[in-house]
Amino acid sequence: MSPLVYYLFTLAFFVFAYCILGWGLNLQFGHGGILNFAYIGFVAIGAYVTGALSLGKPSGGQSYIFGFSLPFPVGLILGGLAACVFALLVSVLTFRRLRTDYLAMVLISLSLVLYDFINNFVPLFGGADGLTNVPEPFADALGLDTNTFVPFFAGVSLLVALLMWWVMSRITNSPFGRTLRASRDDDEATAALGKNVFKFRLISMLIGSFYAGVGGGLIVEFAGAFNTSAWLPGETFLIFAAVIVGGVGNNKGMILGALIVPVLFTQLPKFIPDIPGHPGLILNIAAMAIGVLLMLVLWFRPQGVIPEKKRLSKLPPLSERHRSTGAISAQLTTEETL
Amino acid sequence: MTAPDLGGAPTAISVDSALSCVDIHKSFGGAKAVNGATFSVPKGSITALIGPNGAGKTTVVNILSGSLSSDSGRVMMGDTDITALPSYQRARLGLIRTFQLSRELGGLTVFENLMVAAKVQPGESLMNVYLRPGLVRQAEKESRERAASILEQYGLYDLRDNWARELSGGQKRLLEISRAVMAEPSLLLLDEPMAGVNPALIDRIGGHIHELKAAGVTVLMVEHNLGVVEKICDHVIVLAEGRTLATGLMSELRENTDVVRAYLGGVLDGRVDR
Ligand SMILES: Nc1ncnc2c1ncn2[C@@H]1O[C@H](COP(=O)(O)OP(=O)(O)OP(=O)(O)O)[C@@H](O)[C@H]1O
Ligand SMILES: [Mg+2]
Repeated sequence: MSPLVYYLFTLAFFVFAYCILGWGLNLQFGHGGILNFAYIGFVAIGAYVTGALSLGKPSGGQSYIFGFSLPFPVGLILGGLAACVFALLVSVLTFRRLRTDYLAMVLISLSLVLYDFINNFVPLFGGADGLTNVPEPFADALGLDTNTFVPFFAGVSLLVALLMWWVMSRITNSPFGRTLRASRDDDEATAALGKNVFKFRLISMLIGSFYAGVGGGLIVEFAGAFNTSAWLPGETFLIFAAVIVGGVGNNKGMILGALIVPVLFTQLPKFIPDIPGHPGLILNIAAMAIGVLLMLVLWFRPQGVIPEKKRLSKLPPLSERHRSTGAISAQLTTEETL
Repeated sequence: MTAPDLGGAPTAISVDSALSCVDIHKSFGGAKAVNGATFSVPKGSITALIGPNGAGKTTVVNILSGSLSSDSGRVMMGDTDITALPSYQRARLGLIRTFQLSRELGGLTVFENLMVAAKVQPGESLMNVYLRPGLVRQAEKESRERAASILEQYGLYDLRDNWARELSGGQKRLLEISRAVMAEPSLLLLDEPMAGVNPALIDRIGGHIHELKAAGVTVLMVEHNLGVVEKICDHVIVLAEGRTLATGLMSELRENTDVVRAYLGGVLDGRVDR
C-alpha cells in the first residue's frame, strides 16, 4: 500500500474516533451544560481498561492489572463501562452540591490527580511507560499485516461510529434530550416544572463517559499502545474545541468539528516532517492554531460553525389548524357574529 | 418595627387551604429576608401577595415552591407537609411557579418550552425511547395537541418555532405563564406576572388567571399594581419586613386601609381608595 493511502486511512480512523469522543462530550456539555474538563481522563480510563483487558498476562518487565486476553468487542465495551463507573463516582460526589462552574474546576483538578496517579502508580497501567503491544483485533484470525490492519480497523471503527451515532441521535431527539437541554438552559426553572435535574445530568454524564471510554478503547486497539503522553489533560480542550467548532448540541456538526480540529491540527502535523533544528515546533504551532481557531469561532460564530439546529414543531399554520378542528371554528364564527 | 395585630393576622391554618406556611424564617448572611411569615391560601381562590419592595415576597415564593429552603418553619400543601420536598417533587404534586424575572428556556423553541413542561412523558426514560417507541410517540402526540391549544390561547401560536430567547419581554411573560399551565398545576404561584407588560396584555393575563380559577386552579400571585389586585384577586396577604401584616378578603383589607397605609407607606398610598 502506498504511504499516502495508509496515511489517509489513519486519518479516517481518527475522524471516526473523534466523532465518538465528540458526541459523548456534546451530550454532556452541548446538551447537558456540564463542563466536563476531565473528559480526557474518561477517555484514558477506557483506553487503559480496554488495553489491559485485551493484553495477555504481563511479561518482559511490563506491569498492569487484568491481562485477560479478552476478544475485541468485549474489552472495548468493558472499557466504556469502566469510564461509566468512574463517572458515576464523580457525579454522585459532586453533582448535587456544585454549580456547573465549580464542578468544572473540581473536574479539571480531578483529571490532574488522575493523570499523576496513573503516571506514577506503575502496577496499575505501567506508569509512564503505559501499555504496549496491545493485540490488534482480528489481526491473527484474518491474517492481517501492518498494512492491511489499518484500513480494516478504520472500517470497523466506521461501523462502531455509525452504531453510536444512531444510539446518540435517538437520545438527543427524544423527550429525554429535550428535558436535558432545558436543564442546561435553566436548571432551577426546569426543576420547577417537576424535572429531577440531577437524574438527567447523571444519565448524560454516564452515557457521555461511555462514549469517551469506547473512543479511548478504539484508539488503544488501533495504535497498539497507550501511555500518559497520549492524554495530557490539555487534550480535553481539543475535544471541547471540536464540539464548539462543530456546534454545541449538534451531532452532525460534530463530524465537521472532528475533521477540522483534532485531525487537522494534531494528527496531520505528526506526518509533516520536522523543521530541521526545531524538533516539535510543528506540533506547538498546531496547538497555537487550535487556540486561535477556538477564539475566532467564539468571537465570530459563538453558536459554532454549524449552529444547534432548531427542532421545529411541524404544527400547521393557525388558519389550517382551525379548518381541521370543527369545534374551534364553530366557536370562531360565534365570536365573529358577536 | 413590630407588626401590630390587625385582628386578621392568622395563627392557625384553615382547613380548606390549598397551601399554607407557618412561621417561615430566612436570612441571607445577617439580613432577615423572611421573619415569621404565616398565612394560608384558600382553595380555589386568587390570592394576592403584596408588600413593599424587599418585603420578602419573592423569597417566600421561592420557599413555597422549594427553590429555596427556609431556615425554619413549615410549608403545607393541603394537609401534606411538603417542607422537606425538593422543588421538582412539589411540582409533581401540582405546585407550579413562575419567576419574577422570566426564566425562558432560551435554547429551546417556544413550542419545546411547553413540551418540556408536559407532566406525563414516558420519553424521558431512555428505556422507553428504545424499547417502547410507540408509547413515547403517543404521549408526544397528546402533548403536542395540548401545547398547540395552549399556545393558541395565549397568542403565542405564531411564535411556536422561534427560539424562546428571541421573544420580547411581554411575550416571555406569556410563555412563562403558558408553560406553567402546560404543567397541569393545581396550585399556581405567579411572581409579578404582569411586571413590565402593557395594559392591554395585563387585562389579557388577568383574563387567563380567571380562566384558571374557573378550571379549579388555586392562584397565589405577587402583584404591585393594586388596581389589578382589586380587579382579579379575592384574597390578600400583606407582607412587610418578612412578616405577615394582614390577611383577609379584599373588602376587609380596604377597611384596614389606614393601618395598612401606615405600615406600607407609598406602596398602597392613594391606590387602595380608588
Ligand atoms: N439571594 C439573596 N441574597 C441576599 N439577600 C437576598 C437574596 N434574596 C433576597 N435577598 C434580600 O431579602 C430581602 C427580600 O427580598 P425579596 O426578593 O424576597 O423581596 P420582594 O418582596 O420580592 O421585593 P420586590 O417587590 O422588589 O420584588 C431583600 O432585602 C433582599 O435584598
Ligand atoms: Mg420580588
